[in-house]
Amino acid sequence: MSWLKRRLRALYEHAEDGVERVFGPEWNPMRQLGALGWLLFWIIAGSGLYLYIFFDTGVTQAYESIRSLTYEQWWAGGIMRSLHRYASDALVAVAIVHMLREFAFDRLRGPRWFAWITGLVVLGFVYVCGITGYWMVWDRLAQYVAVTTSELLDRLPLFVEPIARNFLGDLYLSGRFFTLMVYVHIAAPLLMLLFMWVHIMRYAEAKVTPARGLSWSTAGMLLALSLIWPAVSQPPADLGHVPTVLGLDWFYLPLYPVIDRWGVTAVWLAALATSIVLVLLPWVGRRRRAGIAVVHLDNCNGCGRCVEDCPFSAITLEPRSDGAPFAQQVLVNAAHCVACGICAGACPTATPFRRATALVPGIELPDDPLSRLREEILARGAKLEGTQRVVVLTCQHGATVPESPSVAVIQTPCVGMVPPPFIDFVLARKIADGVLLAGCRERECYHRLGYEWTEQRIAAKRDPNLRERVSRDRVGVSWAAPTQSALRRAELELFQRELAGGSPAPRSGLNPWRRARLHGGVAWRTLGQALAYSCAAALLAYFSIAPRHEVLGPKLAMVNLSFSQAGRLKEPCTALTPAELAKLPINMRRPRDCRRERWPIEVQLVINGELMLSGRYAPAGLWSDGPSTVYKRFAVPAGQTTLSVRLRDSGRVEGFDYTRSATVDLETAQNLVIDFHAEQGGFSIH
Amino acid sequence: MTLLKWRDEFSLGIPEVDHEHRELVRAINSVHEVLDESPSSAEASSALGEIHAQISAHFALEEKNMQARRYPAYTEHKRDHEALLDEIREIMDECERALPYGREAFSAKLNSWFETHFRTHDARLHRFLLDSANRH
Repeated sequence: MSWLKRRLRALYEHAEDGVERVFGPEWNPMRQLGALGWLLFWIIAGSGLYLYIFFDTGVTQAYESIRSLTYEQWWAGGIMRSLHRYASDALVAVAIVHMLREFAFDRLRGPRWFAWITGLVVLGFVYVCGITGYWMVWDRLAQYVAVTTSELLDRLPLFVEPIARNFLGDLYLSGRFFTLMVYVHIAAPLLMLLFMWVHIMRYAEAKVTPARGLSWSTAGMLLALSLIWPAVSQPPADLGHVPTVLGLDWFYLPLYPVIDRWGVTAVWLAALATSIVLVLLPWVGRRRRAGIAVVHLDNCNGCGRCVEDCPFSAITLEPRSDGAPFAQQVLVNAAHCVACGICAGACPTATPFRRATALVPGIELPDDPLSRLREEILARGAKLEGTQRVVVLTCQHGATVPESPSVAVIQTPCVGMVPPPFIDFVLARKIADGVLLAGCRERECYHRLGYEWTEQRIAAKRDPNLRERVSRDRVGVSWAAPTQSALRRAELELFQRELAGGSPAPRSGLNPWRRARLHGGVAWRTLGQALAYSCAAALLAYFSIAPRHEVLGPKLAMVNLSFSQAGRLKEPCTALTPAELAKLPINMRRPRDCRRERWPIEVQLVINGELMLSGRYAPAGLWSDGPSTVYKRFAVPAGQTTLSVRLRDSGRVEGFDYTRSATVDLETAQNLVIDFHAEQGGFSIH
Repeated sequence: MTLLKWRDEFSLGIPEVDHEHRELVRAINSVHEVLDESPSSAEASSALGEIHAQISAHFALEEKNMQARRYPAYTEHKRDHEALLDEIREIMDECERALPYGREAFSAKLNSWFETHFRTHDARLHRFLLDSANRH
């Protein structure tokens, strides 16, 4: 598992190096997949509301209403429909890339299991929404989805009468079924929205809107795709015939061909096994957890800065517990704390100018105390040589930094753990000529907000700020993923050159090289983005309808054997004698005594002289007193076909209670139904 | 001798803030005495560092209170806080460079800051808090 994780991580990192180069750190879609999901959700919800106005619930009206939206109102309804489909397909893609990424970057352990599990629930709802959505159109694909989904649901011990019977023919289907679908298709997204909210509930400053430029261009891409390649229905559903070859939406329906091949039971078991593995992933190969943040009440006055900065909402302000004359104190929630240390970086008492022994901030990590950071800076700094001495403070998740006689590298759990006074300290005490904070990929902090807070503290836009008096010429930040070590080395080199006074251009803001890195080749970046959007649109369009899936081979027809029939009672009823009746309490007196248990039914089907089915079907119900139900489908060659069907419902050993034989001329893809109603004389074939 | 004297008119009416004010006045006075006894520069500067940490935390708390109550003069008040923190950092650096640090200069700087701050910013905040308490 860890091998897979490492490979996947490397794959993502390399892909993201490319994406970042094209989109820039701000618009990089890979670092805001969750936010993109939210954007797509709103696009789907908005277009769905519009479609709802015009959708008719009825066996023929459903198809017709969507057809007229698509063609007669292509300029609004048609676009809305296409947006609805393509945004939904994009949502699946984004959700799965998001999920795999969180797995690859190992962001599901410890307290982060919560988002992982709730995310899986959201993904489940995405599929419920998508499948019911395809169902409502009531074209041939919908028919296929309806039958297969019903068979899938009928496998569960939920319904006595198979839902799939609704789709045996037009006679069986009611328009109310579409009303039900509309309810499910509205309820599922609402529940999904609820879980999306729960999904991000524990994250402070959760990102639910992508960068503005990215939002507009994504919406623009979907709109362009909707105009160029509008989503259309397949031919209308025809329950008298089985769809043969269909264009499938592979984002939502990849399992359906598998169901056709392996059957519902195998797919249920595989889905169950996969779900169990996914649910257990956060706890597989678990490492020792670093100690969670501890509060030192002597140094905590309840100012709440750590509460503001904690990315995982793990710290809360609570009434004072130690009798000190403060109103509040902070409390760490062990179930939320990931031990990133960002709280220590926010504490106003975390300053190294204090006596070494007294360097106990209000909150810090027991495994990485700030007093040790101070000692390390002093010890390692003392050995630095040269005129461009740099103390580099790194995190555990970014590119490494090479040590040298003039460079001391000190690792912290997250650069957000470094309190700004530590930077002041290194420079004021002349421990080094410069301080470089070296974290994860730009805007992409393993601990979520380490990047933002570090940048804002240094820019003096957030407390605790790096004091204005600290010369920004001597402070650098470098954001680089493990695959970007060349970038890291280059930035360190540039920083050292600047320290030596080799910076020719007048300074404007912090670290001008980073701005240079972003603004390189606007034309290329635009072209690259256009290409990326075109590829994404092409993939969406293609896999929303292709490759085609052969549901039923050529020159075949389908024979459905489907009915419910209650077997006869195992024991005949006996009349009670007056003496027996007198013994019973008054309210339980009845003329006849009947045991409820019924015989199982036995069914045989012979097609063209070949015995296709010979089975016993047990009665439903805890007391075996319900009807027995048969639902079987057989693909048979089209043409002249002799059918013979027999049923025994009386528990007799030989012979049958009902038989029917017929010769039919099956058309290609015909959907023939063999039904049974005892009161109508037994089997019917139509 | 003591540098600063706590006076009841300094009181803001927020118990935790007033408590810290009194603590601070005591701490600053004790640092003043440390400076008085002409200790090593490291000792003096870390004593000042201690004060700096304490004042930072106190300001953070006071700022939280101001923001929670939507105090309109927050920006000016905070600017004055930052000015004092800068001033103390300045003194710490000077202390590092040369000792004995001029005790008179220290007294003069801190005394004038506190007097002015208490008289202007804190008094204004106090009035605001009283007014908003009366309104409710």
